Amino acid sequence: MKLNNKILLSNLVLSVVIFVLTSIGMYYLVNDTVYDELDNHLLQHKIDIINQVQGDPASLKEIRKLGGLGSYEWVEINPYDGTVEPNTNSFATIDTVRSPDEASSESYRRLATTISVNDQYYNLNIYEEVAAWQNISMTILLSVLAGLLIWILLLYLLNQMVFDRILTPFYDTVDTLETISDPTDFDERFPDSSTDEIDVLNRALNTMMNEIRSSFEDQKKFIQNASHELLTPLSIIRQKAEKILSRSDQLDRQTLRSANEIQETAVRLSRLSNALLLISRVENKQYELDEQVDIAGVTEKVLEELNDFITLKNISLEKEFSEELSVQGNQELIHSAIYNIVQNAVKFSPEGASITITLNGGAENHEFKVIDEGPGIPEALNGSLFDRFKKGNGRSNELGKNNGTGLGLSLVKSICKLHGFGYRAENKEGAGAEITLRF
Amino acid sequence: MRALVVEDEPLLNEELEEQLLEEQFSVDCAETLQEGRDLVAGDEYDLVLLDLGLPDGNGLELLKMIKKYYDETVVVILTARGEVEDKVKGLELGSDDYLAKPFAMAELRARIHAVLRRRFKISDNEILIGKLLLNLNHMEVSYGGKPIDLTETEYKILRYLVLNKNKTITRIALAEHIWGSKIDDRFSLDFINSHMKNLRKKLSEAGAPELIETVYGVGYKLEAYETEQ
Repeated sequence: MKLNNKILLSNLVLSVVIFVLTSIGMYYLVNDTVYDELDNHLLQHKIDIINQVQGDPASLKEIRKLGGLGSYEWVEINPYDGTVEPNTNSFATIDTVRSPDEASSESYRRLATTISVNDQYYNLNIYEEVAAWQNISMTILLSVLAGLLIWILLLYLLNQMVFDRILTPFYDTVDTLETISDPTDFDERFPDSSTDEIDVLNRALNTMMNEIRSSFEDQKKFIQNASHELLTPLSIIRQKAEKILSRSDQLDRQTLRSANEIQETAVRLSRLSNALLLISRVENKQYELDEQVDIAGVTEKVLEELNDFITLKNISLEKEFSEELSVQGNQELIHSAIYNIVQNAVKFSPEGASITITLNGGAENHEFKVIDEGPGIPEALNGSLFDRFKKGNGRSNELGKNNGTGLGLSLVKSICKLHGFGYRAENKEGAGAEITLRF
Repeated sequence: MRALVVEDEPLLNEELEEQLLEEQFSVDCAETLQEGRDLVAGDEYDLVLLDLGLPDGNGLELLKMIKKYYDETVVVILTARGEVEDKVKGLELGSDDYLAKPFAMAELRARIHAVLRRRFKISDNEILIGKLLLNLNHMEVSYGGKPIDLTETEYKILRYLVLNKNKTITRIALAEHIWGSKIDDRFSLDFINSHMKNLRKKLSEAGAPELIETVYGVGYKLEAYETEQ
């Protein structure tokens, strides 16, 4: 949930809770006041009646006969029957009818008490209609609550506008962060803001991005320089070893073999160095991507280069190039990527297996697929196959040897990233691996 | 023939000098661009081995100068920068070949042979070893006048050994020569054996004696005395 919605929602919920509590509170408060007022009123009537009766005891009859005090009140005076303690006032709210011909009962407040006239006790019940009072109180209550409700809604709408405004820079920052895929690609700055926290956040992000960027760049540069600087000394090692080897007739086998191993290791190290150099140059975007590359043509060329191995391993090749496909990019790099993928397929294919290479797709997705019948991608490598220095141990053990630099597919990955191609590796059902490039 | 080595790494410079001396060149050495300029200004060389990443500048500068004054000089660029632009630029400026470090000396030797022959227009580009005749430009090999039908890879192996005759050629240098340095070495070395087996079979079927000697655990050697036609 978005931050501003969250704040708005919690505000709303809180307002509603307060609204409900206020309503209940107000209801009781108003009711209480109404009944207090009613009771006072009834007591006042009682005092009036007592005063009247004491001044003129004969008027008792008159009052009894008349019954009513006004349109909302009436009085009952009966001979004392002992149900009420003498000289006490007891209040009650009851539903009753004033006269038998009234259709429905109404709510009345009753004061049950006693009066004495000429030393004789009478029960005195004074009734007053509640409805009229309640109408007034309900009107007050409802209008107050309606006002409150309107206030809450208005506040919600206003808050929405205000939050949107206040949080805009924050959302800008968040949106920008979302679009960053590679910190080295990102050269925008997070803007200054008049909100302290957002300003702090943006400044911190700017600093961090700069740090990340520069350390990334340092790292890439370092790899590039280191790989480059390694090549000359490796050259020397290689040539010195070769020199020893060229005097093969004067040396014993052990020495020759050691010299050969020195040479092979130097060569392997220099390949590694070259591969790293190539990857970091790709990652540093030191290649122009302005050529039109014919994928089928490149693939044919790769197959020709690897033809020796395909023939000697007796691999049958199935090619399905259903279309001419030309993509914009760097010929050398795309060649390199396809070379690595096909070489892997050839390397991991058993004798006499077949490799299927397809190039097809609809109008939108052009896919290049290489499917082999090798042992497939080991479980442990799933998801990290394209990372640097990841090698399928299972695979290499099966073949009984170490294979390559472990940089081949990582090179494929960086080339694809540079070109914006998709890449995917998965196991085929049964056996074998399938590597897909999507242009 | 006169050769100049321009390489800032002293050990490598020394090594190259030695190799060229073995090939009967008289050799001068320079470790900086300036030294190179001075030497080139004073003398005409037949062959220049030129490193591009020199401490005081880009070797391409020297290449420009050489090509300006001496059109005949063969220039082979040696560089640790495996950059295609450099290679293209070098070739555009008139260099005759390009080798990425680290390279096998055998490869350098083969390249030097090839460019010198091309440069000096040796039309009969054939080498005769005993009765074995190998054309350096076309895939033609014959023994005692009888043509031998070789695959491209077998021809490449034989030509490489012939150009580096009497030298031990390691299998890794051979693999690199045939398939380039992109190929996975551990993977490709096995294939050298099978190609070599086929090549030897074809040679012996043509009646040739064992020309190719196996240097155990290391590589191969073709021992012979060249008689050029």
